[in-house]
Amino acid sequence: MSRVSSVGHRAVGVPWTRRARQNLRILQVIAGAEFKLKYAGSALGYAWSVIKPLSLFTVMYLVFGRLFGLNEISPYYGVSLLIGIVLFGFFSDATSLGMTSLVARQTLLQKLRFPRIVIPVAATVTAGLTFAVNAVVVAGFVAWKQITPQVDWLLIVPLLAELYVFILGIALVLATLLVRLRDIGQVWELALQVLFYASPVIYPVGYLPPFARNLVFVSPFSQVLQDIRALVLYPDLPGNTITAGDALGEYGRLIPIAVALGVFGLGLWLFRRNEQWFAERV
Amino acid sequence: MVRGTGLSVSAIEVVDVSKAFAVPHERRTTLKEHFLHPWRREAADVQRALDHVSLTIEEGEFFGIMGPNGSGKSTLLKIVAGIYAPDSGAVRVNGLLSPFIELGVGFNPELSGRDNVRINATLLGLGKRELDERYDAIVEFAELHRYIDRKLKNYSSGMQMRLAFAIAIQVDFDVLLLDEVFAVGDAEFQQKCIATFAEFREAGKTIVLVSHDPTAVRSLCDRVLVLSNGVVAAVGAVEDVLAEPEPADV
Repeated sequence: MSRVSSVGHRAVGVPWTRRARQNLRILQVIAGAEFKLKYAGSALGYAWSVIKPLSLFTVMYLVFGRLFGLNEISPYYGVSLLIGIVLFGFFSDATSLGMTSLVARQTLLQKLRFPRIVIPVAATVTAGLTFAVNAVVVAGFVAWKQITPQVDWLLIVPLLAELYVFILGIALVLATLLVRLRDIGQVWELALQVLFYASPVIYPVGYLPPFARNLVFVSPFSQVLQDIRALVLYPDLPGNTITAGDALGEYGRLIPIAVALGVFGLGLWLFRRNEQWFAERV
Repeated sequence: MVRGTGLSVSAIEVVDVSKAFAVPHERRTTLKEHFLHPWRREAADVQRALDHVSLTIEEGEFFGIMGPNGSGKSTLLKIVAGIYAPDSGAVRVNGLLSPFIELGVGFNPELSGRDNVRINATLLGLGKRELDERYDAIVEFAELHRYIDRKLKNYSSGMQMRLAFAIAIQVDFDVLLLDEVFAVGDAEFQQKCIATFAEFREAGKTIVLVSHDPTAVRSLCDRVLVLSNGVVAAVGAVEDVLAEPEPADV
């Protein structure tokens, strides 16, 4: 039996709105510092956050677009690929940063008491800032392709929110596990590579046989990616804009959405259960 | 601990707190080891850091905690600060607490002094406006005007300690926890700290000081608790506890 009733730390007598505001400020300050740190000491600084996905895009485009001729199936292959790479970059960046966040901030954990969850959330928010910069580049490409914006593009916002919930869930699971088991880092690096090729980032999802296609759409990442492509690249061929709704039926999206919420719930539960031990075990 | 008239509120109550750390001989933190020996428990010594410790610190008291290395002083302080969870027992802290634990409050070496002040003051509970108002006072107390935009890794340990201390005392705390505050820092800065403690004492704040130094404890504290191997060896007024010839290992 352990019970700590610490009446201090602004816990009692302080309205929850004030506490929520203070926690948001903590989040803002830490996320800002992380963003600064990420490119600290590099000459090109923030430019790297755009250079990296664009170089990967260039290589992928030359190999798969030109060499393997995927370019010929659709005039929108390039934009489609760029959307996929930028979105996967966000996924991979946010989960990796979130995973290592607790271990990287161990001195802070050992000296101060504050809501532990701020640390992984701040890491994923930092990755979100990088993603926002990249999204501007994608918007430039979309404009260059002379695609007229539609009202239903507003649906991208809830889709990204769903993806973020999924990402945060994964980050919470990985951050908690990494405290106990350091080679989770290697495992996740490998898993990310598998996920990259298992998701329809490079190839059109229509290339997959039906059973594999259904399997792919269990992943919230693939569902969000294809939904965004279907919204933005509406003039593209139907085979390239297959969504979870097309593959799994009318309510098909509920499966990946349930997966995202489930992973988030698991992450939150695991994190909360273990957070009181982080300071001494990290 | 019997309280006086019942009018005074205790600032910190530690009731029957125990804490043990499992200290593995060789920590098994890789997958391979888990796969190779999935059922074997990690060979671990259980080290009892605190064994049924109780204490009550009254509001406005200047309280010292002493004991040899490994006696559980820092563990006790971290449990009071809410950083470690006790295995059993309960801790009550009345009011806002500002910890200053083991030389520094978790600075980031790659960030400037300015950024570190912002982060740590925010984590300690300062709002944006409060921080803006007190930022200059923090830098001035730490005497770091010229260095505030340098990265923390280029600070000396004394400079880091000064900055950490300057932040900790700018929080609107009711209880201040100080761990080995006199380990670094020159005599001049120590004098400044002692002058600040006097101000806090007048303002009726509670201060808990963990120290090796019997001279500091004797000159500053009202009461003192001596820990030995995780149990309370002595507690009481400084004159009584520290009157007899000090044990060699304190």
